[in-house]
Amino acid sequence: MNKNDIDLYKQFVKTTFKMRYKGSILGFLWVLLKPFFMFLILFMIFSHMSSASAGLTSQQYAVYLLSGLIVYTFFNEGMIWGMGSIMERAELIVKINFKRDVVVASSLSMALINFSINLLIVLAVALILKINITLMGLAYILFIGLTMFLSLYGISFFTSIWLVHVRDLQHIMELVLQLLFYASAVFFPVEMIPENYRFIVYYNPVARFVKAVREALIFGEITDLKFVLLALASSIVLVIVGRLYFNKHIKKVAEHF
Amino acid sequence: MEDNIAIKVENLTKKFRIPEHGSPTTLQERFVNPFAKKKMIDFVALKDLSFDVKKGEFFSVIGPNGAGKSTLLKLISGIYIPDGGTIDVNGKLVPFLELGVGFNPDLSARENVYLNGTILGLTEKEIDESVDDIFDFAELKEFEDLSIKKFSSGMQVRLAFSIAIRVKSDILVLDEVLAVGDGEFQKKCFAYFDDIVGKKTILFVSHGLESVRRYSDRVLWLKEDKTYEIGEPNDIVDRYSATF
Repeated sequence: MNKNDIDLYKQFVKTTFKMRYKGSILGFLWVLLKPFFMFLILFMIFSHMSSASAGLTSQQYAVYLLSGLIVYTFFNEGMIWGMGSIMERAELIVKINFKRDVVVASSLSMALINFSINLLIVLAVALILKINITLMGLAYILFIGLTMFLSLYGISFFTSIWLVHVRDLQHIMELVLQLLFYASAVFFPVEMIPENYRFIVYYNPVARFVKAVREALIFGEITDLKFVLLALASSIVLVIVGRLYFNKHIKKVAEHF
Repeated sequence: MEDNIAIKVENLTKKFRIPEHGSPTTLQERFVNPFAKKKMIDFVALKDLSFDVKKGEFFSVIGPNGAGKSTLLKLISGIYIPDGGTIDVNGKLVPFLELGVGFNPDLSARENVYLNGTILGLTEKEIDESVDDIFDFAELKEFEDLSIKKFSSGMQVRLAFSIAIRVKSDILVLDEVLAVGDGEFQKKCFAYFDDIVGKKTILFVSHGLESVRRYSDRVLWLKEDKTYEIGEPNDIVDRYSATF
């Protein structure tokens, strides 16, 4: 990374940030409003049923739901924006030879920024609802956030290239992420799923992240550490292998737009 | 590579694999006719091209549409990779394949200077130092904060040109960007070119044969049948003009 790459990264993040909400009256507030209404709807419908079967108070359920939503949203935005990053900058890529991974990193950073802001809000809400947040729990949440970011970064090295060749991936990804929302036990406890199907949640990394963040936030407990460490290790491998794959194939991509 | 050579191209070949009947980019197209995707043909854009450009030389490339001029520039700029042969570039190369690459119409002129400048390889600090000069040269000082969708195309090009010339480089790759804007601004552009000719290596692609004659040291003529000639500007341009 030289000085220009870092400045280029900053410019891309700034531009994307400005453009995303440009022209809308509420502007950046939309980052907060959309998940808020999603939360409101789910809370009204499921709070009674879910909190009872998970053994949570309705305050705890509110935080439970919010934390699930922000973790899932982070994954969702990261997957979509990371995958679309190269296509989005196609016009630039066919004209200038700059460091292409800057594009992937800057698109993912948008998801990270949103996640950080959402996390701050959830923490504020949790404090208002008198949830006892521990320092350890908070540190663990940040650690999980970093692990997720690395895995998204690694995955995007592949998906951003694949999307150029197979445009259908956009629609497939949206579908998969939609299914993943229900398979990640975001708004209902795992206990509500029939026992034969619980493996779906068990083998779903997003569900495990969601669960670990929740338990860290609500009970201050560090759970599933082995899984998170394994995820971190595989993410690092994914980033290294993904980078090699990306660098090998990106030059050919310019011919396929 | 010898010290006095800026660009060395040897036996360069570039093919594009193109499908015979439209590119099957969606799965649907592949399902509908699963055997169609195998029918790819090679389109040869450049074949066995060798030449070198000396340091400080003004080297022009001319030829009809489809002869491979743009492909050559993209190969030298590192946007495409060759299928055969080698390209060696000695020094920092800046491609101006098009002016104002990455301009965002909704951002202000000032924001676009930063965006376009970093894309071209400047650092933020370098832009801080030269942003006022850029607007002075472009004669757009009073429109700094206006979003550039409100700019006329001439104004946009003037701004883009003023940014592009700030980029420190040893080799400039120019694709028909000479003589932008109105008469007054054109004079400034030509003054700039007169100034850098001889100091920087310039690889120039143009249909404007007059500027090719005026500036070039040597000219490469790419022909449709993938043969080529390299020679003295007046001679090559005269014979090229005679073909149409």
